[in-house]
Amino acid sequence: MAVLMLSVAAIAQTSLRGRVIDESTQTPIVGAKITLANQNISTTTNESGEFTLLYLDAVDEEVIIEADGYLAGLELINLQANQLLQLDDIRMQQDIVTQAQDEILLNLTEEEMSDDEGRSQSQASSSSASTDVFNSNTSFAWSTARYRNRGYQSNVENYYIEGLNFCSQERGQFNYSAMGGLNDASRYKEVLNPIEATNFTFGGIGQSTNYLMGASRYAQGWKVGVAGTNRNYKARVNATYSSGIMDNGWAVTAQLAYRFSPYVDMKGIIGEGIKYYSLGYFLTAEKIWDNARLKLITFGAPTERGQNAAVTQEVYDLTGSIYYNPYWGYQNGKVRNSRIVKSYDPTVIAAYEYKIDENQFIKAAVGYHYSMYSNSAINFYNAPDPRPDYYRNLPSAMWDGQIANRNSMAGGAGQLFDESGNHYPWGLFIGEDANGKSFGSGFIGHDGNLVGPSVDKAQYNALVDLWKARDNKTTQIDWEGIYAANISNNAISPNGSARYILERRHNDIQEANASFNYVNTQFDHLKMTLGVEGKFSQGIHYKTMDDLLGGNQWIDIDAFADRDIKELASNSGMTQEDIANVVKNEIRDGYDETILANGRHFGYDYRINMGNVKAWFQNEWTFNEVDLYYAIQLNYSSMQRTTNMYNGRAWYLTTLAMRTDAQNGTDNYWKYLGHQALKQLENGQVNAPGNILVGEAHHFLDPSFKLGATYKIDGRNHLKLNALAETRAPYARDAYISQRVHDRMVETIYTHDQAKNLKDFYAASEKLASVDLTYEFNYPIVRGRVTGFFTQSWDGTELNGYYDDEARTFVNQAMSGIGKRYMGVEAAMAVKLGTYFTLTGVASVGDYRYTSDATSITSAENGMPMAQRDATKELIYEVRDKVLLKGLKISTGPQANASLKLSFFHPKMWFADVTVSYHDWNYLSVAPSRRMQGLFTGTRTDGTPVNGWFGDEYANAIETTDNMLLDCDMDENGNVTYKNAVLDENGVPVLKYPYNLMTMQENLAAVNPLNRFIIDASVGKLLYLPNRQSLSINLSVSNLTNNTHFKTGGYQQARLPRAVIQGEKDYHNSVITANAWKYPSKYYYAWGVNFFLSVTYKF
Amino acid sequence: MKTNKYLYFVLCSFVLAFMSSCEPKALTEDDVLINDEAKLQKLLDEANPDGYKIYNINSLLAAPYMTENGNFKSDSSMYRTRSKYIAGKDTMQLFSIDTLPTNGKGIYLRGRIATDDYGGNFYKTLVIQQLNDWEADGNPAIDQQCLRISVDMGSASGMFHQGQEIIIRCNGLAIGRYANQPQLCIPTYNNNIYASSFTQKVGWAPGRIPAAKFRHAALMVGSPDKSKLTYETLSLAEFETKYLNKYNDVAGARLLDARLIKLTDVHFTSSYDTLDSKAATYKARERACNRYNPAENDTIGNPEEDKNACTFAPTTANVGHPQSRYVKDAGDAHQVLISASEYSRYAHFYLPAAKYVGSITGVLSYYFDNGGYKPDQTKWAITPNNMDDILPECQKEDADPRWTPIEWKKGTAQPTE
Repeated sequence: MAVLMLSVAAIAQTSLRGRVIDESTQTPIVGAKITLANQNISTTTNESGEFTLLYLDAVDEEVIIEADGYLAGLELINLQANQLLQLDDIRMQQDIVTQAQDEILLNLTEEEMSDDEGRSQSQASSSSASTDVFNSNTSFAWSTARYRNRGYQSNVENYYIEGLNFCSQERGQFNYSAMGGLNDASRYKEVLNPIEATNFTFGGIGQSTNYLMGASRYAQGWKVGVAGTNRNYKARVNATYSSGIMDNGWAVTAQLAYRFSPYVDMKGIIGEGIKYYSLGYFLTAEKIWDNARLKLITFGAPTERGQNAAVTQEVYDLTGSIYYNPYWGYQNGKVRNSRIVKSYDPTVIAAYEYKIDENQFIKAAVGYHYSMYSNSAINFYNAPDPRPDYYRNLPSAMWDGQIANRNSMAGGAGQLFDESGNHYPWGLFIGEDANGKSFGSGFIGHDGNLVGPSVDKAQYNALVDLWKARDNKTTQIDWEGIYAANISNNAISPNGSARYILERRHNDIQEANASFNYVNTQFDHLKMTLGVEGKFSQGIHYKTMDDLLGGNQWIDIDAFADRDIKELASNSGMTQEDIANVVKNEIRDGYDETILANGRHFGYDYRINMGNVKAWFQNEWTFNEVDLYYAIQLNYSSMQRTTNMYNGRAWYLTTLAMRTDAQNGTDNYWKYLGHQALKQLENGQVNAPGNILVGEAHHFLDPSFKLGATYKIDGRNHLKLNALAETRAPYARDAYISQRVHDRMVETIYTHDQAKNLKDFYAASEKLASVDLTYEFNYPIVRGRVTGFFTQSWDGTELNGYYDDEARTFVNQAMSGIGKRYMGVEAAMAVKLGTYFTLTGVASVGDYRYTSDATSITSAENGMPMAQRDATKELIYEVRDKVLLKGLKISTGPQANASLKLSFFHPKMWFADVTVSYHDWNYLSVAPSRRMQGLFTGTRTDGTPVNGWFGDEYANAIETTDNMLLDCDMDENGNVTYKNAVLDENGVPVLKYPYNLMTMQENLAAVNPLNRFIIDASVGKLLYLPNRQSLSINLSVSNLTNNTHFKTGGYQQARLPRAVIQGEKDYHNSVITANAWKYPSKYYYAWGVNFFLSVTYKF
Repeated sequence: MKTNKYLYFVLCSFVLAFMSSCEPKALTEDDVLINDEAKLQKLLDEANPDGYKIYNINSLLAAPYMTENGNFKSDSSMYRTRSKYIAGKDTMQLFSIDTLPTNGKGIYLRGRIATDDYGGNFYKTLVIQQLNDWEADGNPAIDQQCLRISVDMGSASGMFHQGQEIIIRCNGLAIGRYANQPQLCIPTYNNNIYASSFTQKVGWAPGRIPAAKFRHAALMVGSPDKSKLTYETLSLAEFETKYLNKYNDVAGARLLDARLIKLTDVHFTSSYDTLDSKAATYKARERACNRYNPAENDTIGNPEEDKNACTFAPTTANVGHPQSRYVKDAGDAHQVLISASEYSRYAHFYLPAAKYVGSITGVLSYYFDNGGYKPDQTKWAITPNNMDDILPECQKEDADPRWTPIEWKKGTAQPTE
């Protein structure tokens, strides 16, 4: 009797039950979120679309129903005490606009995957959380401007699939091309705001997204779609079939998506010179038992697509198009792109969920992912640079030597006067000869600026005309010239190296991962979550031959080392014969350096093995007025490089270091190969090419801690406070100084490896602290939130490689000790305007900047010395200096953003919206090489002298003109002080002119404020057909006003223009030239008007 | 269900139809090189509706466009001048620019590339030689005529190989003289105040043709064939008679510049020229190079420090002029300088000892700095492409004595032979 009473009581309590279905297909919606607004209670629907809420207060309530891909629903109910309220089926209407936008976004992020040079337009933050007003209204609308959440780099965001971490362990980024075009595979996801309590992973300072791919989520039936667009691909067809949950408990869903564009043979339009082919497949099966479910998932998308590049403003101006693409040219009258990405990411996942009892729940998953990613590029040996936008091919190259330098200034040997009798400042065109006789007034160049009279107008214009006419030999890759060079080379040097080849650079990664997640709710008010994640990855890097381009063979040696072999011999004291090894990419006997067009690896062939184990737990307490949580994680990671090739530069640098060690009593020689590899070589175990040399292993252990509280002022108004502190080990990409060549790490990692105290142990790890405070409100007519956030990081590491004009070779610069601060406010508010309209306003204003200078070590990849001490003539191979970053802005997209969106929805299933967005404070990425302390003081922090530093070269100018040049001194503590320098509002020294050279950081926002606006619009119609069929049509137009003046990003070229000083024999004697146009910044532009039209038929 | 199957079929067909993504067909020799005269004529006819004329080097130099005034007359619309040190006094007309018409009839220059820049002696310069069996415009090919082409293209030989016959559209380019060396070029303002004797050089001067423009202008005819280059083979005595003394004739010497010369039976004497203008004879100017012996002094004879070191081209401290060393014939009766760039790949190799006798081939150039053209200081020199052009007979496997080039090594004394 007692038992009966209890069960009656259970039924008789105040409760709510219902089912959520798709209005068109009548199929249940899985995972829809049901929230009672006044009581702040929520749940999600099960695989039958059903939900139950128990222990409710008997009041009037608003039921908010939200589901990915559907418009949010609202029902008003009256809950009676101790009664069960059974609702009618809740019918959800598909949000075809958001579905289409998600698809566009997925493609956008995929296309911007970085190339192997690590240079790419920053990715837009891509996943949208439909339930958050801010995220759902920014992820698409602000993607055009490359807005990034809170200004964070993409590698702090976490991407999971069914609980498995799918971010690269080398770079920390998620590879969207794995899911190429599979809009259904990526449809369902959980998105967690930064530092909230989580359920599938510990998370971090960035957003965490977990894609859910269980087959039971997909409505039974067929779905076929076609789409047309003028973006990088032109058309897409796709088809999805879902079985729904069958009688045997299985559900199966499959999708095929094919996107394509043949080569675009038209100049000046989006995607010029680009082809695109991608076939995506997605297969998922799910078996459901009473207390358990098993999901088996596989997907992949073999893709082949052409690439585009950022170019300088001069090139955009000359070609008159922001779509100019330097990577393609004509071959046999047909378009051919030199940069073809091939990617295919076959992935398999098995996930298992088990409900032990009412209060205990476990999830476990294992996955395997093999990412094949490669891109092609032209390589050349002892032949002219084939890049059409190579700086020497531009009209501005004629300005070399025509810009006034110190001799033109007052007191200089060739002092010049302008028409008003004032001295020519440096950096302007010279206008007179050495007799003081004026050449005249010059002429107006193609960009409307004055070109000095010492530039030959006819020659300049002739080159300008070739560019403006988009002459194929001038502005595109000259495939015919390249073939001609190789074919004629065969005649005189049949056994020699081809002059040009098309090589393929492979950056594969294979990873196996597993995760386990346990949730316990047996204690009142307390939810305990325990998670363990393990992952092993192997980055696989090598080159293969794509095309010999008419050549007979390619001889696999290093061109930079070959060119510098005389200097290398002189500096090392070895003879040229002795160091013939240095040019070799594999020095062991038996390596055939003759590469023919086949799949053989050459150039470099190494792997980075990375291990990672995370263990975390989280306690969440829920009370009527307050929710609390905290979580702790321990993160173990490791990296180790192994190589199949014994590179000549690694041998050479080891030999050099042995000598330096002997002289200075240091112990560095082993760093280029690692102890184990040296032992292997000594023991003769690895004499043959292909034998693996094993480098040093590095292990890291990083803790994270976070906590937060929600104060529920009432059911509709909440205050949330979250905080996180953690350390992060560097990614492999930033840890190896020159991973293609040797095993050498950035210095802080050796400090870490040999640590005897905690400070040294965390020398290599970046330290992060982040806090945010949110006010959230939720009323029937208006809802929204305001968040303030503050994040500080210390001891970051970054690696750059570039061609150094002074050393005249390729150098690597490793920076450490980078501090960054991100602070700002996010706000969003949606207001219902009557029955049909909603007005949404969102804004994000932040200040993301460097808070400390960095220390850097720069070394030549081929082992050339970088400097020489004045007194001792000692050659320095690694120069150390400070990088003046403090106060500079972090270039991760616009820091000021606002938009207003008007949405229209008619119950007869018409959709429309228009969004006006404004973006500002978007800053150029600064090249650290241009902000080295030595450039300003004449002396690096290691005491080596810098030739041709600014103060030296232009000291007179500071005294005699108001050019606001930067002049620095060092105080007794070695800190830089600025004298006579103008500081900007951040205390950063400003060089007014020429601002391309090195200066105040350029704001990329368009000069005309109107061009800082982007307008998007979309319109859609969903048509219900008989027999539960439906047809939806959606047209989305981005950048409606065709604003082609919107720069989304850009970077300073690291290469600093220098000229050799004649007649002085000091080491690397050069001056900074006054030619600011020589290596100007490169920019990315937002596309002008572009559309996406899709039609989907469900049956 | 029938509908489903039908849709599936349509979808699959679609996928297959578009999945082909091949690159364009590979190019062959016939596509990229002009292998017969008919094809060449067709190309030129198409490119020149107003007609065209193909010149050989000497006919172009003699063409009516060329004023031979050296005063930039052909483009008087722009004020151009040389520096005050030459202006009005430049009776020798060492510097000139004559621009060729941009429009109208096509003006083509035909020749064969004679240089290779891999060795490092020819930086952004190609030398072309007259085709020896071909005449143009009634002007027979003058035996050996050569011309420098100044191109803003690093490693140009990688695209324009030694032995390659080319036809260059010269419209809009210029023929100029830089310190008396004729060249195909464009006008540029030389502002290099760091150059040696810059006061003479600063001003309008022949400059490098932009790479894009040159690639546009140059057509490759046939495959390169080095054997078709003709070298004038001379003993040093013959060279002295035919060339050395002609150096004093400014206008005559100009036309001899850049010729391909093969000197027979010469040997190095490990000596250099002091350029002492007061010295009456070359012998009075000649000095022995400094041998390197680090035990005595690490600086003397060290090519990084000592411009008189016993190597082909020790440092000039980035001044950039070529370094030269004497070769002589039997009995040391005659001599000439062999020059190399300090940037050349063999710059720091020790000079071969006098016992190695053989031939040297190279381009006729002048030694040191010709800005002021002082015949008392400056004479012809021969510039080889690379070390293969230097005493090749002595470098052969079975040569006796066999010369094995040895590179200077810091800390190791120069070997004695």
